[in-house]
Amino acid sequence: MNAKRSSYLIVTLSLAALLIFAMFGAGCTSTESKTTAATSAPTASPTVAATAQQTVAAASTTAAVTAAPVSTIASSGEKQTIKISGSTTVLPIVQKAADQYMATHEGADIQIAGGGSGVGVQAIGAKTVDIGMSSREVTSAEKAKYPGLVITSVAQDGIAVVVNPANEIDYITLDQIKNIYLGKITKWTEITGANVPNTNNQIVIIGRDSASGTRSYFDETILSKKTPTNKMLEKNSNGAVLQTVAQTPGSIGYISIGFVSDDVKALPIWYNAQDIVAPTIDNVKTKTYPVSRDLYVITNGQPTGLTSDFINYILGPDGQKIVADEGYVTLS
Amino acid sequence: MNQDSQCQKTTSQFNDPARLSVLKEKTIRSVFFCTAIFAVVVIAFILLFLFLDGFPIFTEVGLIDFIFGQTWAPTAVEPLYGIFPLIVGTVLVTIGSMIFAVPLSLGCAIYISELASPRIKSILKPATELLAGIPSVVYGFFGLIVLTNFIRVTFDLPTGETWLAASVLLGIMALPTIISVSEDAISSVPREFKEGSLAIGATRWQTISRVIVPAALSGIAAAIILGIGRAVGETMAVLMVAGNAAIIPDPIWNILSPVRTLTATLGIEMGEVAVGSDHYHALFGLAIVLLVITLVVNLSAVAILTRLRETRTSCGNVEKAWLTPANKEKLVRTLKVVVVLGLALFLIVALPLWIAGGIIIAGAAWHFLREKISEKYIEKIAFALVVAAAVIVLLILAIILEDIIVNGLPAISWEFLTQPPADLGRAGGIFPAIVGTLYLVAGAILIALPIGIGAAVYLIEYTKDNPVTRLIRTGADLLNGTPSIVFGLFGFAFLVLYLNFGVSLIAGQITLAFMVLPTVIRTTEESLKSVPDSLREGSLALGATKWQTISRVVLPPAAPGILTGAILSIGRAAGETAPIMFTAVVFSQRYLPSSVFDPVMALPYHLFILATNVPGASTNKYGTALVLLLLVIAFYSVAIVIRNHYVKKARG
Repeated sequence: MNAKRSSYLIVTLSLAALLIFAMFGAGCTSTESKTTAATSAPTASPTVAATAQQTVAAASTTAAVTAAPVSTIASSGEKQTIKISGSTTVLPIVQKAADQYMATHEGADIQIAGGGSGVGVQAIGAKTVDIGMSSREVTSAEKAKYPGLVITSVAQDGIAVVVNPANEIDYITLDQIKNIYLGKITKWTEITGANVPNTNNQIVIIGRDSASGTRSYFDETILSKKTPTNKMLEKNSNGAVLQTVAQTPGSIGYISIGFVSDDVKALPIWYNAQDIVAPTIDNVKTKTYPVSRDLYVITNGQPTGLTSDFINYILGPDGQKIVADEGYVTLS
Repeated sequence: MNQDSQCQKTTSQFNDPARLSVLKEKTIRSVFFCTAIFAVVVIAFILLFLFLDGFPIFTEVGLIDFIFGQTWAPTAVEPLYGIFPLIVGTVLVTIGSMIFAVPLSLGCAIYISELASPRIKSILKPATELLAGIPSVVYGFFGLIVLTNFIRVTFDLPTGETWLAASVLLGIMALPTIISVSEDAISSVPREFKEGSLAIGATRWQTISRVIVPAALSGIAAAIILGIGRAVGETMAVLMVAGNAAIIPDPIWNILSPVRTLTATLGIEMGEVAVGSDHYHALFGLAIVLLVITLVVNLSAVAILTRLRETRTSCGNVEKAWLTPANKEKLVRTLKVVVVLGLALFLIVALPLWIAGGIIIAGAAWHFLREKISEKYIEKIAFALVVAAAVIVLLILAIILEDIIVNGLPAISWEFLTQPPADLGRAGGIFPAIVGTLYLVAGAILIALPIGIGAAVYLIEYTKDNPVTRLIRTGADLLNGTPSIVFGLFGFAFLVLYLNFGVSLIAGQITLAFMVLPTVIRTTEESLKSVPDSLREGSLALGATKWQTISRVVLPPAAPGILTGAILSIGRAAGETAPIMFTAVVFSQRYLPSSVFDPVMALPYHLFILATNVPGASTNKYGTALVLLLLVIAFYSVAIVIRNHYVKKARG
């Protein structure tokens, strides 16, 4: 009986071991094929021509902007696919550009996923996608890890400081914002003109998560790289900040100006009585509004084929019109 | 029987049916073992992967500073990676959610299985299962818009995003799991128990509280463990309502303070963080800590269960001989005093005085008057409470459904269901997302169901409790407690990058299958346990082989329970965002996927992007939520019809 049981055990254990080895084996072989594939054609992006890396397009992205986008690619009706992933902030622009691009380019299939800037950079670095999207600058560590990355900014984004409409405040200074987010000002009564009726005027501080591009930009420019108070409530998207500020009377938050709606009050920045700057697209474009940043698309190596054509489309007049329509700020 | 000689003879005696059937039996056993070990292999892979990415932070910061550090400021000029407040937040939120969910769901389960008329039961049971099918993003937005506002106004707070809000929301999300599994456990208590108890003159309530519930305790405990797993691992909903301020409530029982959980930290920071940075490693370190916490929860639960079972006779469903009455009395009394004092203290400090006072006075009155009230009145009060629990659960469901239907109905049209999205989903339809979700869920179930059922059959039918089965069970429990976002990351690193599947349907299906696997295993195990041993023995005695017994005698009556597990899995797989976010979905695509290596659109992800990153898509957002819900209802209806068919067949 004992012998029988132990032999069962040996059989089953060896089967299990086989299973594990098979999985490892599958992993190893496919990594090999990945490394070989990387030099020929990434399996995930069939449209990138096999010789793409050798015949790098000589034109830099900036040069390509000025060149009229010639859309010989993918207009023949043959199905071509590119994959894009990354920042959810950049996603709306690229998505809408892709919709319009595909409408005029029969056969082009552009698939766009979110995930976040970090995912975007990693995915393009590992070449699982053709274009990565990022709402933050690519870090030096990332650049070192993936030396082939080519970064193109496609739009600008202003960051508006918003409060609940119930707040009687009309404008705010950069210093006051800073002190609120550092936890030095905790009551609206400490700010001239601010009052939230029917509450104890406690400030509810809303911010973005610490990995967000918006947050790092905000901390850097407004808080002079200091860390905000740990009482700050953290949200992981513009939409969530907007929603929270819209329903919390004593709150303050910051969002992309594309998201500003009637549900919240976007505060102008007060420098002095003559110089009050509202968070409008014009003020971001002329750089008078102090809090704005770039949004990026990233390719691994110079873009070619459909990838290049599509990026040029975003940078061209049609693409930039979409940028404006979505409430972001155009490049020029 | 000499195993070796038998093996040698096998080839020559291939025509001998007896030998052949022995070989067949052995092969079947091996197959079941492989499926059972699968959960362990998966968890080993996940652990390996987490440790590889999480280890650098332990050497960088130091384990002690990492776990007991008071400040989480990963992007400060001098970054601090202290996760102590996050650990405290996770524990507090989970405890709170169980305090909310366990009484409600037990009451509801008792009502469904013991009190409700068949007609009410046929409505109530699917209704609670429906709660499981509501996607976590919808829960999150419901929580953010309705619940936090309610709490803010009720308690006159600056913000309603609190520990309380998170606990209540997670409690609601854990309800269907606990109700379904414990209802199955209670229903499967042999009828003789109930009849015997009633025959010796016990009231219905005495029968329920002293006979039926104790007999179903192991199933109920399993249900609560599953519920805790759901609460600990939930990401998308909790991060929307908990406030996410990385602070320890001050004082510690301040249930109205914002908190941040481990999962929320992963959920909000993982997507954007630079891969390979210290912050990235810190998040993986955090995931390891999260897994360790679930391990501790599960191990202690297993220990409790083992203690309960030790006093049981060896085979299945025989009433356990309790601890000696005197000891039990003492133990229960001490426990009661501790719990009552703790609760009273908690109530006084946490809630406004009038509510706390009311509850305490009611409790005290109950305690002192209990002796004077006849059993009949006690029964009436108990039944009233049980019915109240069921009504509250239905009410919660109604409120959430009303919110989705009222806001979503205007969006529904033929075009919405058959067209691809346009203008970032503000216009157009969601057809590719519907198809994508169907593909994902179907694939996940096709993978998880055979493996899960196989594992459960191996655990229950082929082995008694031994180290190997304990390892497998622990593996399954750990998998159950693994946050969905960790599955997503694992899928991304292992399937998408390492196996080079790319962002694809197959990667999403496998990731989702891993996620629902423990639910399938657990529920199948419970329903197999509920099949009386006498059936097995009868079958074996008649000369049936082990496999014949399992396939023809044991599995048919267990089918309804297995289906319940499958239903729960479908609901969970259809509504999850985090596991597919990095592995399978795109926001839009022009063509439907033509192979499993193409990416897909999916309803929950579409909903997530509409809700968080596309301003002005409110109508289509709710429309998408409604369609997702209807889709899940459709799944459920089919499964419920099948289940009822089986139940009738089993009884008839």
